[in-house]
Amino acid sequence: MALLLAVLLAAAGCAGGDSGEESHGGASDLPGPLPEDVAFRDAPADAPAAPGFSAELVDGTPVTASDLWDDRPVVLVFTASWCNRCAGVHRQAAEVVAEHEGVALLGVVPGDDAEGAREYAEDLDLGHPIAVGDEDVWLSYAVREPPAVVLVAPPGKVLRGWPGGVDRQILVRSLDELFERR
Amino acid sequence: MRRAQAAAGCLSAALLGLAGCGGGGEDTVEAHLRLVVPDNNIRVEGVECAGARPFDYIRPGASFSLEAPDGSVLADGELPAGRAENADPDVDWGVERIPTVCVMELELEDVPDRPRYRLRLPEGRPLEFERAHLSADEPLQLIVR
Repeated sequence: MALLLAVLLAAAGCAGGDSGEESHGGASDLPGPLPEDVAFRDAPADAPAAPGFSAELVDGTPVTASDLWDDRPVVLVFTASWCNRCAGVHRQAAEVVAEHEGVALLGVVPGDDAEGAREYAEDLDLGHPIAVGDEDVWLSYAVREPPAVVLVAPPGKVLRGWPGGVDRQILVRSLDELFERR
Repeated sequence: MRRAQAAAGCLSAALLGLAGCGGGGEDTVEAHLRLVVPDNNIRVEGVECAGARPFDYIRPGASFSLEAPDGSVLADGELPAGRAENADPDVDWGVERIPTVCVMELELEDVPDRPRYRLRLPEGRPLEFERAHLSADEPLQLIVR
C-alpha cells in the first residue's frame, strides 16, 4: 500500500504539480526584502499618485503594484509579445535596474496577451516579474501602444513616463537621483 | 448584340468559375495595399509601430482576410509590423517625436480577380475597394475607420 502511494505521488509530481520548475516572470522573480543598507528618497509631494492595480503574473501569482512601490522605486515596462521593439526596451530597462540594488522592475502585458507573454518571459529570461494587466491598467497610465516605460517612486508617485521607451542614460540618471543611501 | 455580349460574358464567367473550382486557370491579380491607421500617436518617425488605442487590434500577427462581395474569403494572413509616418506631411514639427500614423504594407499575390474587394480586420468595419483602383505602380491606400 505504501509503495502504491509512493508511486502515485511520484506520478503526480511528474504531471507538473509542485515540480519546482522555474517560472520565468512569475512568483520566483518577485523582489525580496529591501537590503538594509539601501534607502530611497520619497518622491516630491506634488508628483501625481501612481494608479494602483492588482493583476496576475504570467504564472498566475497575484501581485499588487502598491506592495512593490511602497518602499522602493518601480520601473513599469508596458510591453507585448507581438511587439518587436518591446523586448529590447524591456531588456535595457532590466540591465539598468540590475545596476541599482533594491529597485524593482515589473513588466505589464495586455490582458489578451497572456499566452504569448509566457513565451515572451521565457525567451527574455530577465529575472523580473511580468504581470498581465487588463485594459484599465493601460488606460490608467495613458499607454496607447507598447513599449512604454513609467518610473514610480516610493511610496507610489509617478515621476516620469516615456512612451516608446527611454534612453538608457536618462533612466540611469532618474534612478540615481532616487537613492538616499546605497 | 449587347445582349449576346452579356450572354457570352456570363458563359465566360461560368467557365472561369468552374476553372477556379478545379484549381487552375482563374485570373488573378496582385493587390499591394497601404493600410493607414490614423491613430495620431506621438512617435519618432520611421519607428516600427502597431495601431495605438483605439486601433490596438491592428498589430503584428493579427489576422486579416480579403473577401469578395459575397463574403467568400479570397486571401488571408497576418498583419506585419507598421512604420510610423508623419500624420501631416505638410508640417515640419521641428522635434523628434511627432504626431504619426502607423502604416502597414500588404502585398497579396494571386488574388482571384473580382470587381470589388473587402479587407476585413479583427474589428471594425471592413475596408472596401475596387479592382480598378489597384495598380502595379503604387499601392492602394486604405484608411482604417
